[in-house]
Amino acid sequence: MSEKSDIRVLLVDDEETLVEYLSKRLLREGYTVKATFSGEEATEVASDDDFDVAVVDLKMPGMDGVETQKRLKKIQPFLQCIVLTGHGTIDTALESGKEEAFKYLLKPIEYDNLLETINEAYEHKVQLQNARFKDEVEEIYRSGLGARGIKKAMNKLRKIYGIS
Amino acid sequence: MESPETLQAKLKKANEALSEQKEALYQTRDYLENVLENSRNIIFRADSDGVLVSFSKGGESALGYTQDDLSGRKMKDLAEDPHDFENLAVQCSEKKETVRGEISFRHKTGHIVYCRVILSPLTNTGGEVIGMAGVCRDITAWKKFREDLIRVDRLAEVGRIASGIVHELNNPVAVIGEISGWVGSVASDAEGLNEEDREEIKTSVRHIGEQTQRCRNITGQLLGFVRESKLATSSLDAHELLRGTVNLLTPELKFTDVEIVYNFMEGPVFINSDKQLLEQVFVNFISNAVYAVKEKGGKRGRITLETFLDDSGDSPMVEINISDTGVGISRKDQKSIYEYFYTTKPPGKGTGLGLPISRNIIENLGGSLSLQSEPGEGTTFTVRLPVS
Repeated sequence: MSEKSDIRVLLVDDEETLVEYLSKRLLREGYTVKATFSGEEATEVASDDDFDVAVVDLKMPGMDGVETQKRLKKIQPFLQCIVLTGHGTIDTALESGKEEAFKYLLKPIEYDNLLETINEAYEHKVQLQNARFKDEVEEIYRSGLGARGIKKAMNKLRKIYGIS
Repeated sequence: MESPETLQAKLKKANEALSEQKEALYQTRDYLENVLENSRNIIFRADSDGVLVSFSKGGESALGYTQDDLSGRKMKDLAEDPHDFENLAVQCSEKKETVRGEISFRHKTGHIVYCRVILSPLTNTGGEVIGMAGVCRDITAWKKFREDLIRVDRLAEVGRIASGIVHELNNPVAVIGEISGWVGSVASDAEGLNEEDREEIKTSVRHIGEQTQRCRNITGQLLGFVRESKLATSSLDAHELLRGTVNLLTPELKFTDVEIVYNFMEGPVFINSDKQLLEQVFVNFISNAVYAVKEKGGKRGRITLETFLDDSGDSPMVEINISDTGVGISRKDQKSIYEYFYTTKPPGKGTGLGLPISRNIIENLGGSLSLQSEPGEGTTFTVRLPVS
């Protein structure tokens, strides 16, 4: 299990007070948290900073949760999204959820359940990312580049995968 | 002076006309008798004092009286409120025209029979009113049907409103939950707080959490009710479903001295139904049974799940009995048990939604629900569902 401070969480929900307290609690637990109040704001933030897990409310004015999730994934392909759905909307969420959310959680969320899901999503992301990284590293070595070329390619990879 | 031949011819003609009229009268009488005999309406004739002169067969079966019961009685005395009938009758005889109204009559056994009534004056050849004829159509079933429709409509409306309110309430409740969680974690490691105060804050925060959970239970159940309009049916084995439901409740049953007895008929019983909704229903019945057994206390309680096949009707039904040896339900509570928000449990334990919602679900699935209870002895709920 990784240290919580390694986990970067992006919260997206138009219920500002909820996001405010949720992020306070998560910060106190040791997560790195960024709170956003709309899909538009979230995609903007995600263009600048890397995240591991996004918690996205399905129903938001403007860009809804499905669309937000889709765009976030485009910007950061390994980002895992947890989608919060209201009662009765889970069907629509699943139908339109071809963007493969990591998990759907029914609102009102239970805090402990959310923590657990965030951690699982993080583990999943790391596994996916490592597997992919390994593949690409092997690819670079197979490509027969010289030492300098390999170093350059590796640095590029590190940048892509957010590994410093 | 006419000749005897002419007279005879005239007489013959008059005779022929008379027998023609007699025939016509006979046919009319036959026709009317048939109508009176076979109509399901209450058709009556009364004299100018309102005393019944004749009363149709349909009337006898609609109100439960025989001709003998009614001889010498006034029609108005059969009405629930004689004044209502009297008013209509006075209108009829004063205006000398047909009048209409709605009157409720009392059946011989006491229940009310709602009728649409048409009264017409009967006059002699001199034009004087000598009584009246009346036709009353029993509209009780129609009235009940209309009331049911209104009730269903109102429920749907309540459902829509409830769903709106619940969705609006869910967010602030969630926020309250988050804030209390936050206060709790701040309090647990705040410096400069004495231990007594820290415990006080933590307990209070825990209580806020419990109360928000209570709100969630209510909103969750209400949404369950609103959602039920969409059924997702599949073929299910009723026995498997019941066993599965008991398994769901294992954590709850662990802390109760209660024995679950299965008294199932042999083999599986397949029903075409909505698994999730039925699970909700049976969880509700079994938890109620557990609660009733706990309430009674004392020695080991028992909850029996029984199934029977009833193929006496048009379509075969499976009858599922959920019986407990708990406190039972008083006569008074039995009457109100399906009302929304009616509960005998202490605040926080029951929402008063479980039974009305369960009944709604069962009826939506083409089944029915009944109960039998002896206060102090126990309760049996019977769920009947169509077999596939």
